[in-house]
Amino acid sequence: MKVANTTLEKKYHDAVEHWRRHWMPDYELLIKNWDKYFPKDEAFCLCAKMELGTSETVPIGDHAGEQKRLKPSELTEEEARHLLAIIRAQASTEFGSIQQHAGTLARAQDDEDRYWVMRVMAEELRHGYQMFHLLLSQDWTKASGGLKGEDMVEEVLSMGTGSHVLDAFNLDYDSFIDNICFAALVDRVGKYQLTMQKACAYKPMADSMPPMLREEAFHLAAGVIPLRRWAKRAAEGDPYVTMEAIQKSFNKWYPRALEMFGDERGGDTNVKFGFKDMKNREAQDLYIEEVRRMVRDINLRFLRARFPKHSLETVESVLDTLERDHGRHDGVAWTDLLRLPDARFFRRKGEPAWTMVGAAGESFADADTYLRYLATQLADGYMASRDMKLYGDGLHKVAQGEWTPAEATKHMPKLRRVGGNCPCSRAVRWVVDEPTAPRPS
Amino acid sequence: MPVQAQAKVRPLDELDIGAIVKIDERITGIYRPDIWEQRVGYYLRRDPESSQVAEVEGKVVGFMLGDVRGGEFGIEEPSGWIERFGIDPDFRGRDLGRQLYDAMLKTFRARGASVVRTLVDEQDQAVAGFLEALGFKPSPMRALVMPVPESSRES
Repeated sequence: MKVANTTLEKKYHDAVEHWRRHWMPDYELLIKNWDKYFPKDEAFCLCAKMELGTSETVPIGDHAGEQKRLKPSELTEEEARHLLAIIRAQASTEFGSIQQHAGTLARAQDDEDRYWVMRVMAEELRHGYQMFHLLLSQDWTKASGGLKGEDMVEEVLSMGTGSHVLDAFNLDYDSFIDNICFAALVDRVGKYQLTMQKACAYKPMADSMPPMLREEAFHLAAGVIPLRRWAKRAAEGDPYVTMEAIQKSFNKWYPRALEMFGDERGGDTNVKFGFKDMKNREAQDLYIEEVRRMVRDINLRFLRARFPKHSLETVESVLDTLERDHGRHDGVAWTDLLRLPDARFFRRKGEPAWTMVGAAGESFADADTYLRYLATQLADGYMASRDMKLYGDGLHKVAQGEWTPAEATKHMPKLRRVGGNCPCSRAVRWVVDEPTAPRPS
Repeated sequence: MPVQAQAKVRPLDELDIGAIVKIDERITGIYRPDIWEQRVGYYLRRDPESSQVAEVEGKVVGFMLGDVRGGEFGIEEPSGWIERFGIDPDFRGRDLGRQLYDAMLKTFRARGASVVRTLVDEQDQAVAGFLEALGFKPSPMRALVMPVPESSRES
């Protein structure tokens, strides 16, 4: 595999560097200590990387078998608008996750964990830069309703936690546990999106994916490996990171991660236009099975540490029994282990939006009871957040029949920056978008 | 004779750590997850496509870890290095080692490597025989080793 590196025009490159100085104050530290934590690895490069030698042919959708498109002008206006929305959302996630990681990075107890997350942040910055390259290297004026590339870049760089495109990127982290669980759960959705977009009928988008996916492999490891180590320490009685704390973080991020796939009933347009090779539910189902595998893996690490004299086969058998009976074994209860929440738990978008379903699949009839239940399933810091208050208000209105689920979803406010070009401007306020006509999925 | 399920060879990912720990434990009798967490983290951050695992009926039963690098020991040309591999004892004799090797070779080639290198313990006839069957030959470069001298002998 051969890769061509390219940089943005100086003014855009400088804009990204400027943003980076605000949101990644430890960047210089990372570069200084790169060889200590990542010896012999290729040096970090803030550039766009395009895979060479990829397929020239559209593999899926209405244009299957045709030549991949090289310019936005070769797409229909509807296709170009749809793809532009995907690129904008992708760019938003990359910059958004850096802002989230930055808030609690310094709280890491372990320097290796901290440097791994810092590398993840740097590579997310590169991925955002990659999306800017897609926006700026071609003329999207027709598809963007007249917006120039620099306006789109400015818009993404001005987003903050609260104003990003996807909900998962609008939640603050409560502790460093969120940094790690986010990498294990939310970055995993990113892997699915990038993998699906490898098929993209717009070749520059498809060519952007393989280098991003190579880096994403480490981002997932930066989530799973610390989780495995924490599970071991928790089993040995370490009081710092408990399985309960990890579970609460899973309960926070897993529902938002599921929503990142889009409504379970949608995704046809992506496939029809040849932008992705799976529909939403199909990809989400694969993701759920993968997370199930991760949870079991972490639980095995916990049980092996708790029962060091047990053979592997014995521990696997103990876990099988705990998973089946939800009982206890030699002082370890099913609830001491990580559990994969039900896919309908705490959802506010998609097919099960605003239904009141517990982590184990149990149903609730009353909004107050459900909110009190959620308070036992989520971290105190998150329960006290504005996001939860707004969710609770919406839940009450849906339960009382004042809003339909779709109206409740549209009424969830977002933070908007209302002035100034520099990201250090904090001129933001909460706004509610006026409901608009549904857009094609 | 029962029909054996087809093996699927794919690149390593972070959820394979548990299976690799298990295979290693079945081979060596030692449970050492810390080592494999470190090693898998290393390969995933450097070269996530080169290292491979073999799955049979959705279960990882073999692995081969390595990467492409150059500039070490005076070897400037990019070389594919095979560093660790293991096959679950219950799944040996099914040509999984060769399938893993072929998949690694493909990515080594795509990454510009013209040579594949590895080190083997001469006492380990099984591994040495496997590598020889793949086409490996002794290298003119010799692996040398010595204990760290005590401080009194240094002065």
